[in-house]
Amino acid sequence: MPSTTLRFKNLRRRFGRLSVLEGVSGSVAPWEALLVTGPNGSGKSTLLRCLAGLLSPDKGTIEYREGDEVLDTAGRRLRLGYVAPDLALYSELTVAENLLFFARLRRTGPERGFEVLDRLGLPTDRMAGALSSGMRQRLRWAWALLHRPRLLLLDEPFQNLDAAGEQGTRELLREHLEGGGLAVVANPSHLEIDHVAGHLDLGR
Amino acid sequence: MLRATSTSDARPLSPASAWAAEVAAVFVKDWRCEFRTRYALNTLALFAFTTLVVVSISLGPIGIDRARGSKVLPVLLWVILLFSVAAGLPRAFVQEEESQTATALRLSATPSALFCGKLLYCLTLVGALELLVTPVFVTLMSLKVESPGLLAVTLAAGGYGLAVGSTLVAAIIAQARTKGTLFSVLAFPILLPLLLLAVELTFSAVGGGGGSGGVALPQLLLYDASITVAGLMLFPVVWNP
Repeated sequence: MPSTTLRFKNLRRRFGRLSVLEGVSGSVAPWEALLVTGPNGSGKSTLLRCLAGLLSPDKGTIEYREGDEVLDTAGRRLRLGYVAPDLALYSELTVAENLLFFARLRRTGPERGFEVLDRLGLPTDRMAGALSSGMRQRLRWAWALLHRPRLLLLDEPFQNLDAAGEQGTRELLREHLEGGGLAVVANPSHLEIDHVAGHLDLGR
Repeated sequence: MLRATSTSDARPLSPASAWAAEVAAVFVKDWRCEFRTRYALNTLALFAFTTLVVVSISLGPIGIDRARGSKVLPVLLWVILLFSVAAGLPRAFVQEEESQTATALRLSATPSALFCGKLLYCLTLVGALELLVTPVFVTLMSLKVESPGLLAVTLAAGGYGLAVGSTLVAAIIAQARTKGTLFSVLAFPILLPLLLLAVELTFSAVGGGGGSGGVALPQLLLYDASITVAGLMLFPVVWNP
């Protein structure tokens, strides 16, 4: 697998006068996860949104490389996998319809998404709007892994999951990293996960 | 069973075909969600029906004053269409922001394909609205159409411009807090030239301007082309941070 790296340097992001990120730097390489911790409001989600290309940092650089290709923000946005509490799929569609729709947008088949759903035990014929919060989190995982991304950005990835759901998603993360993928995992408290190569504490 | 539609065995699509498939996916998704909620359909139909009834009672055969009908009625037709569109079409993007599905779309869809898919959805809504409103309006107001061809072209070109302009404004306002006010403020300068031309052409079609429309028709078509190009160029900027 060609080398994939994510590097970010001196990121700064303010909302009005409120400084959320100030001089945050880090990097992550294949087979590695970067753990980002900090209390509520410390900027974990803002950092992940900047890395995903959903927010522009006021200052600093983000470089994402897949092999010889350095991807710009638009390219990075379409390649990565993202799990976050504020990410929703269509409540008017079934689980399967959601995956088929996003597979079409991702220009890929839906097989990987269905495989993840099978492993996490989520019925595909249920309306997404009728899912419990734990089931919705499983669907977010299936959506994030649909296009087999090399980079996973995970914001509170085990939130609302029961023991079986957490074990299933931890296995998916471990397989992703052992397959040469990379991940940035944000959580309010320390998480015991395999292959953590770096820890960024945003606590004030 | 939905899984049977897996595309893994299919040959890879060319970039143009893949883009077109994205457009179609957005269009189908929007209509599927619309048929299950009927939000935009109900809003458009209710608004159109209410204004049609009010206008027909005030000015139509069951009203009193039809002396200035041929001047006033084209204006009223486009006012009904404009306000019905303004009531329902902004939802195309506002809904994505409010239900937090915009993040998933931003991380999955090519902006131009998303814009065209949404535009196609808005176009079919506007087309359905015109098909519903125009015959009822013409009948209720006993409007004599001298040039049905010109009226059809005007409705098609005017409806297209309304759909593109509204889709673009909807995308701009989707992330704002005061969406309703902003839609009116932004839509006014964008849609005003379109409405003036559409009214002039409709006036010609009902026998007030000689039936040809003069230069207004090429101007309307030019407006449509310009707003389409502007939409395609501006959308990626307003959609992504």
